[in-house]
Amino acid sequence: MTTTSNDADLDLLVGRMKAAAAPLREVLREIHARFSSHSDGKIADYIPELAKANRDWFGISIVTADGQVFEVGDCKQVFTIQSISKPFVYGMALEDHGLEHVLSKVGVEPTGEAFNAIVLDEASNRPFNPMVNAGAIATADLVKGKDFPERVTRLLSMFSKYCGRDVYIDNSVFMSERMTGHRNRAIGHLMLNFGMVGKEIEESLELYFQQCSVLVSSHDLAMMGATLANGGVNPITGQRAIEQRYVKYLLSIMLSCGMYDYAGEWAYRVGIPSKSGVGGGIVGVIPGQFGIGIFSPPLDAKGNSVRGILTCRELSERFGLHAFESGYTGQRLSDLLTPARRN
Amino acid sequence: MPKIISTHSFRGGTGKSNTTANLAVLVARAGYRVGIIDTDIQSPGIHVLFRFGEEKFKKSLNDYLWGKCPIEAAAHDVTASAIGDITEGSERPRLFLIPSSLKTGEIARILREGYDVALLNDGFQDLLKRLNLDFLFIDTHPGVNEETLLSIASSDLLILIVRPDQQDFQGTAVTVELARKLEVPEMFLILNKVPPGTDHAALKEQVEGMYKAEVAALLPLSTEMARMASGDIFSKRFPTHPLS
Repeated sequence: MTTTSNDADLDLLVGRMKAAAAPLREVLREIHARFSSHSDGKIADYIPELAKANRDWFGISIVTADGQVFEVGDCKQVFTIQSISKPFVYGMALEDHGLEHVLSKVGVEPTGEAFNAIVLDEASNRPFNPMVNAGAIATADLVKGKDFPERVTRLLSMFSKYCGRDVYIDNSVFMSERMTGHRNRAIGHLMLNFGMVGKEIEESLELYFQQCSVLVSSHDLAMMGATLANGGVNPITGQRAIEQRYVKYLLSIMLSCGMYDYAGEWAYRVGIPSKSGVGGGIVGVIPGQFGIGIFSPPLDAKGNSVRGILTCRELSERFGLHAFESGYTGQRLSDLLTPARRN
Repeated sequence: MPKIISTHSFRGGTGKSNTTANLAVLVARAGYRVGIIDTDIQSPGIHVLFRFGEEKFKKSLNDYLWGKCPIEAAAHDVTASAIGDITEGSERPRLFLIPSSLKTGEIARILREGYDVALLNDGFQDLLKRLNLDFLFIDTHPGVNEETLLSIASSDLLILIVRPDQQDFQGTAVTVELARKLEVPEMFLILNKVPPGTDHAALKEQVEGMYKAEVAALLPLSTEMARMASGDIFSKRFPTHPLS
């Protein structure tokens, strides 16, 4: 081994120990303990695989834009990414086709409709935004590749770059999603009817079901968030997952449309670009600073993780993380990253 | 505010556990609530100094790390045996010992499975809060490993025990470098087992120059201490001895 890699190993080890002894860990433990007792919410059960989740699972992970990791609870437990995949695949479509072409296929307007509404913009026939199922299917249709296997490989490779590890698909969830995805097929074919998607719509639907079935943990979500917070480069591996110029578009969509039909109140109260999924995950991004990953399966009526929402609200209010906060004088998350000196 | 104090030595046999135990007893006796935690899971030993056999402890640090109990359930009040005459039920002084398991199977299990070292820091913080401690002393495993580094990262003060010996000197340089990287706020050295006839002032100057850190004490090789063979706490048995 070279001296440089030895130094890097040492820095990594020292960083890990400092993170473990930092006050942020105590803060996360306290929040975790407080919200663990919240037993509200219902686990998604539209397919049997999701219903198997344990309602007590609860992991909170925060990764800084320079790669320090703070996490408590079930942060290694994997679950399917579901709708959290949508902004990341949207980023791929932007890289494959550029902004204007993507905008001609999928809008960026929030809708008050449910995520699975069968509704297109009447004037343009476009889906309203890439976070509703219609928009996400149209977005998946834009993922390039010479054939279907290559499109799947590119998709998984993209997620792997964000996570900094190889990712896999939960095959039983994928099979269930495609067996029961009649509504999504209907949306796909409606868009085909309007000429908004290509003839490979069946393949693109398969790709969409695959992207929803990618297995991640709260640690992975925080790493994905940190990659966006770091301008598109995974802070641990140094690998670029998305071109820097597209990051702001992903975050804008997440802020305005990321939390299903709770998105408006989310942007108002919490103000953190975020995306949730029915698997119980939430990813949040504080640009230039942090990625946040939370996992807790019980969902509220709008399909967002109950403990995830509580945790994000608490973090935002307590540390001034709202995107439009200015003149904030309270305690900052960045003050809690190195060991407290008790004097 | 409560303080966490780690004692460490790069090599074994420096008198680390003895020094930690004696310091803890002296501090407690001055009227404080003090905890001593043995994070030397591979080769636990500090309990012996308190004549605290494994038959006496039902729970250990190991149980906490496996999630079987909160850390304070593994804390044993040793005030009466270590300090002696104290008022029944008084808040201060109090001395608590958190031992590591002595059971071969349990040591093997923790070595085989490993554990998340961040849990150790959680445990330190919980002990400070839940036992309302003024000081927590951490007796670490010799050398450099994860629990040692975490203990140093968590500490307000690091005490390095060094013998006047070339192997100790070289190893200690490694620990000092790591401690500086971990940004421990205060660090000093104790030179232990200094042979009779040594020029103390010259040795102190030499060592302070080597590490750019203060030598707080030079302890002579003590035959009285050696004769006790870790059977008791020196400062308790000989409270008026000049070493105490």
